[in-house]
Amino acid sequence: MRVEDYIESGILETFVMGAASDDETKELMFMKARFPEVDEALQQLELDMELLARNMAITPPPNTWGKIEQEINDIILRDKTNPEKFTQKQRGNDDFNQSKQYNNGHQYIEVEAESSHMKIHKNWKWVLAGIFVLGKIFLACAIYFYLENRQAQQQLQELKTELKQLKK
Amino acid sequence: MQLQTSGEVSGSKLLSVNNLYNNYAAMLLGYIFEVVKNRGIAEQYLIAVFNDVPNQIEEFYKPGVNAFCRLQSMARKKLAGYVETTNDNSAPDAVQNNVFIVKNKFIQQMTPDQQLVFCGAHWHGKPISKIAAELQKTEDEIRRLLKECFTIIRAAK
Repeated sequence: MRVEDYIESGILETFVMGAASDDETKELMFMKARFPEVDEALQQLELDMELLARNMAITPPPNTWGKIEQEINDIILRDKTNPEKFTQKQRGNDDFNQSKQYNNGHQYIEVEAESSHMKIHKNWKWVLAGIFVLGKIFLACAIYFYLENRQAQQQLQELKTELKQLKK
Repeated sequence: MQLQTSGEVSGSKLLSVNNLYNNYAAMLLGYIFEVVKNRGIAEQYLIAVFNDVPNQIEEFYKPGVNAFCRLQSMARKKLAGYVETTNDNSAPDAVQNNVFIVKNKFIQQMTPDQQLVFCGAHWHGKPISKIAAELQKTEDEIRRLLKECFTIIRAAK
């Protein structure tokens, strides 16, 4: 097939739109590397795609870049603090061979990080202090009323005894 | 010294992504919006695409690579699942009733068949074989129609 026929066949357009098959893509990469006309035609089509997209552009909300930046920074930080790679030489265990493979191809030992402690909000400090103070107040009241009641019972008993003696 | 270098690389990566974002985010959002037809979902896909850029940043700097087409290809891959789950078959009926699938000065100059081929491939990510089967045409005919669509876009500049 002549280069002109290849360019006219519509395969380049198919590729630019992401609709080309694997075989078509391989062939195109070969033709692109070999014939500058194919490369030039492909670049022109890519500019056409840009033109179409520019015509239909929608400005993203102002906070969108902030979200992307935050996510990328998190990824970079995660990469920097990556746990040390574990090599199989350290342990020829079959169980380890079945351990999880992550996207970057590294293997890590799975560590169960279950703590017996729990974290609560700092404001709970004041709530607990309040409950403690109220508890003390209720305890003091209970003791006070218990003693008052006991004294009243004793007085009542004394009065009853006096009354019996007077009746006699 | 090594950390500093790593920081510089990270910083330059972020700067490169920012540069791509400033140049192409609006174009890419416009493209994604035409697929999902929802601003919120489109923005989420836009964020997902740009979050992946640092992993492939070297690809953008290879000679002969069109940065926008590369971003669009990444978006297409991400949208593939969405397109499969929300398969809209109303396009042929709409075109037959002279309703344009996408309101755009280029698309409005296309014939119904050209619209179905172009929109099917571009926004719905359909392979040529599928479009050919749907329109009961040969794959060569579909490629020819696609080529005509690009001629229209180029002529309407």
